[in-house]
Amino acid sequence: MSRPLLEVDHLVMNYRTDKGDVSAVEDVTFTLHSGESLGLVGESGCGKTSIAMSLLRLVADNAVFKSGEIRLEGTNLLALTEEQMRQRRWSDISMVFQGAMNAWNPVYRVGDQIREAMDLHFRPRLSTAESNDRIERLFNLVGLNPAMANRYPHEFSGGMRQRAIIAMALSCDPKVIIADEPTTALDVIVQDQILQELKKIQAELGMSIIYISHDIAVIAEVTDTIGVMYAGKLVEIGPTSEVFARPRHPYTFLLLSSTPSVTGPRRKLAPLEGEPPNLLDPPKGCRFHPRCPWATDRCHTDEPISEDVGGGHLVACWNWQEVPEIGTLIK
Amino acid sequence: MVRYFTRRLLQMVVLFLVFITLTWFLLYALPGDIVAQKFAGNPNLPPEARQIAIERLGLDKPIYEQFSDYMVNFFQGDLGTSFNQYPRPVTDIIGERLPRTIVLFLTALVTYYWAGFIAGKYLAWRRGKRGEMAITVGGVGLFTVFYPWFALVMIWLFAAQLGWLPISKFLDPSNWRQAPFAANEVFMRLFWTVAITSALLFAAQIAAAKIRSIPRARLARWGGTAAVIAGFLYYWWGSTAGVEMRFYAGDIARHLLLPVGVLTAVNFAGIMLLTRSSMLETMSEDFILTARAKGLSEKDVRDKHAARTALLPVTTSLVLAVATVLDGGIITETVFSWPGMGEILVSSVTSEDIPVAVAAFSFIGVLALVGHFVVDMLYGVLDPRIRVSGSS
Amino acid sequence: MTDLIQRPELPDGAPEAALEEAVRHDSLWRIRWTLFKRSFQGNWKLFRSNKVGLFGLGIIAFWGLLAFLPTVFFATGYWTNSVYNPVTGLERNPPTVEVTLVAEKTDPLTEIDLRDVLLDQRIPQDLQIGETFLRPLQPAPPSARHWLGTDPLGRDIMSQLMHGARAAFGLGFIAATVTVVIATFVGSVAAYFGGALDSFFMRLADLLIMIPALAVLIVLGAIIRFELWHLALVIGLLGGFGGTAIVLKSQALAVKVKPFIDAARVAGGSHSHIIFSHLVPNVMPLSFLYMMFTVTAAIQSEATLSFLGLLNVKTSWGLMINLANTEGYLLQGGTYWWLVFPAGLAVTLLAAAFFLVGRAMDEVINPRLRRR
Repeated sequence: MSRPLLEVDHLVMNYRTDKGDVSAVEDVTFTLHSGESLGLVGESGCGKTSIAMSLLRLVADNAVFKSGEIRLEGTNLLALTEEQMRQRRWSDISMVFQGAMNAWNPVYRVGDQIREAMDLHFRPRLSTAESNDRIERLFNLVGLNPAMANRYPHEFSGGMRQRAIIAMALSCDPKVIIADEPTTALDVIVQDQILQELKKIQAELGMSIIYISHDIAVIAEVTDTIGVMYAGKLVEIGPTSEVFARPRHPYTFLLLSSTPSVTGPRRKLAPLEGEPPNLLDPPKGCRFHPRCPWATDRCHTDEPISEDVGGGHLVACWNWQEVPEIGTLIK
Repeated sequence: MVRYFTRRLLQMVVLFLVFITLTWFLLYALPGDIVAQKFAGNPNLPPEARQIAIERLGLDKPIYEQFSDYMVNFFQGDLGTSFNQYPRPVTDIIGERLPRTIVLFLTALVTYYWAGFIAGKYLAWRRGKRGEMAITVGGVGLFTVFYPWFALVMIWLFAAQLGWLPISKFLDPSNWRQAPFAANEVFMRLFWTVAITSALLFAAQIAAAKIRSIPRARLARWGGTAAVIAGFLYYWWGSTAGVEMRFYAGDIARHLLLPVGVLTAVNFAGIMLLTRSSMLETMSEDFILTARAKGLSEKDVRDKHAARTALLPVTTSLVLAVATVLDGGIITETVFSWPGMGEILVSSVTSEDIPVAVAAFSFIGVLALVGHFVVDMLYGVLDPRIRVSGSS
Repeated sequence: MTDLIQRPELPDGAPEAALEEAVRHDSLWRIRWTLFKRSFQGNWKLFRSNKVGLFGLGIIAFWGLLAFLPTVFFATGYWTNSVYNPVTGLERNPPTVEVTLVAEKTDPLTEIDLRDVLLDQRIPQDLQIGETFLRPLQPAPPSARHWLGTDPLGRDIMSQLMHGARAAFGLGFIAATVTVVIATFVGSVAAYFGGALDSFFMRLADLLIMIPALAVLIVLGAIIRFELWHLALVIGLLGGFGGTAIVLKSQALAVKVKPFIDAARVAGGSHSHIIFSHLVPNVMPLSFLYMMFTVTAAIQSEATLSFLGLLNVKTSWGLMINLANTEGYLLQGGTYWWLVFPAGLAVTLLAAAFFLVGRAMDEVINPRLRRR
């Protein structure tokens, strides 16, 4: 297999606060190949957005990268100067933001905001005619009327705004697009349309996409690989179909069991009890052990290491063999 | 947008009518005897002369008739005759004083809005860093400073102590004894050249912002600015008319510096503090993150995205500030003996020169109304959401 | 009463118990009081973290103390009315300065007696050139007897300053109360009923905002000889029907759409009940904030008007500046600093203090301004 496009290698990132360090991303490793799509799923506050922001190096002022690397085509992004990083944002990695509403600046026309990104990254600069032409093609691609480019964001509906955001994310031919909760604020029908659109565009243009969502259904629909995060750690990662069919980590199991499936067989829902841990002082050993029905003594003291259960399906759990098949009722 | 502004304009006209009616009744009707006493109350006046005076002033007519007469005359451009500077028509006095106030008012408004906005922008960007609290407290101190006192202390410092600037008044009479020009003639020339220069400078900036190629935009901006300034300098240093007047214009300009400076300093702080909080709110918006993710430099994020959007509430506050600047103008003119509308309002009110007082008060009202209208238009231009809802 | 239960951070468990106690006994005012105490404690905690706001509060406390001190001084006999009364007091034994007459007594050209023009009338008429006499020094510089010296009329500056603080507090309090009561009422009623009433009040507010207040006050001051409380009333009315009403109305609108208003309406609450029990209490915090800003404006307006001599007051900071200015001491600022700086700084500091407290309260009430 060729060299992966993006490698996140043992990334550790903390937020410094008055009360101590918050361990937001803890020893996360994954790779992404060209044309592939990866999903990161987890409860809010589990560190998935922190990872997304780390990829663009747009973390808050109090964030510190403790160790690890983020390599894009072999270049460690964390070692770049701010100016070099600025050049790479949007041209190499772009982003479809969550909360469709506020990602647009209300005082500029949508087309002009797209043009702004292109003016920054295309050298030589595109002429007005060229950039207009490009915006027109982008709008057609995402299913918007090109005339809308001359409108202001508040004249767009939520779905249209999100389509336009996708157009903007595509504007500089990025290698990776990060879609952070791309459909959360939209109603179900529009959600589906947007996801299908993204899928179609990816097939057409062949870039890689990282989906980030708390909604496991969204991830299931569009990704090749899925990573499950819990309390800053990547607890399970593997081919999407594999993980859904046979989750190995207790957290994944409970997460899937607590989500109703519309198309799959009928099953009982198992509630996921307890609260995610306080990351100022995460539990020793496995971070999931306080909520885990299969926890043993070992889980209280030793951090589990990722184990390959076959076919690139990695799981970080001492007792993964105990986890039953999905649909099984647990007491 | 056109409809929105027509409606605003109509509102302005109605407000102005209300304003002038109230003013007239307050000043003419309430202390009716003040008017009578001033001219007809003199006990040495023979009865027939008193009768003539009363008739001339129309004091024998019922109040509503006096009012309707005044209104008719007002819209025909006749504001009556000054009591104290008899027989000088009020229009004449206003015509001389209004431009002097407008110069003070507009210069201060533009300067403090601009300077306060830039200062607030940097202050917000420095949040949590050293000196922020000192600047904030200093800004609040300047914003709430006791205005006349501050002006007097500045006069003491810059005029009496350092001797850099003249103490007060519009010009230095000793320079004007042999002057071949009337002071007003020179002032109006100064007024128009500065007004045209500012308008052209503004136009150059706007035009440059429309050009997409960076080097060409830069050339247009700086070239245009240089050309306009060169034109201004040529007028005053190159052309015969300008050279002859320059000494006298300089004298007036020197007298203008301190009042404008004081007015600007005090109002500047308010805009600075407001911009700061507006910027802080804007900076937490998602689109700032979008801008950063697009790879914009911090400077561009700040200037093009955060500041441009933070400008909206600041402009709203400018609506309120217009009246404040006028208030400040009244004090400034009084303290500096600057012969403008504010100074004449205070002096005519204290010396009971009613026709002048009514006119001065109405024109200060007009200035406030026009100021608000301009700010409204500015706001419409800045905020696309208003633009659309107004036109639909 | 669930509407009022917004749970701020609690210092300890005690209020919680008190609340349950109150709910059990179903006494409305006790529930209200407990809730008020609780939100006050939470908000005070937030306010306390704002250094600038505490600084402002400190200045207000300082002037409050100064405003109170004369009562103590007069009561204990430390100050006597004949010397320290801010209006009629007079220092009869001022320090003196030795003056030698060197110039012609009478200007030969205009025949004006120079003693009248250059010095003051207290110079003996028969003074000859070269003779020396002791001229009373007034305004006198600070001394142990007069902490901040005396003014040109021989009155104690410190006493005037303290009495000026009283005037400022009294005026500020009345003006702010009038403003807030009117604005809260107008804002709540306009937001609740909407329609023609709303447009009427809002157009009125638009009109008042545009009026340069000082110009109005100057004109009014010329017509009626303004007393202090007249001024407070006018400022209160201008603010109450003007800008403050608009701000409070938008706040009331935000409250009006909350579910508990509908709940109250469904439960059969009358209009006045809903307005006064539900709308007004929720607009209150913002009202207090605008009280602070009104005080700032009132103090400044008072000082300005008395500086222009348009106010019928006996002691005020503005009047002190006015006297120093008309007697020509202001432009010699450095030499007669005690005439110029205490009064000017007093206005500035107290106005700034209320403004700072207002800003700090704004950060408490408006979470968007808080540091993240």
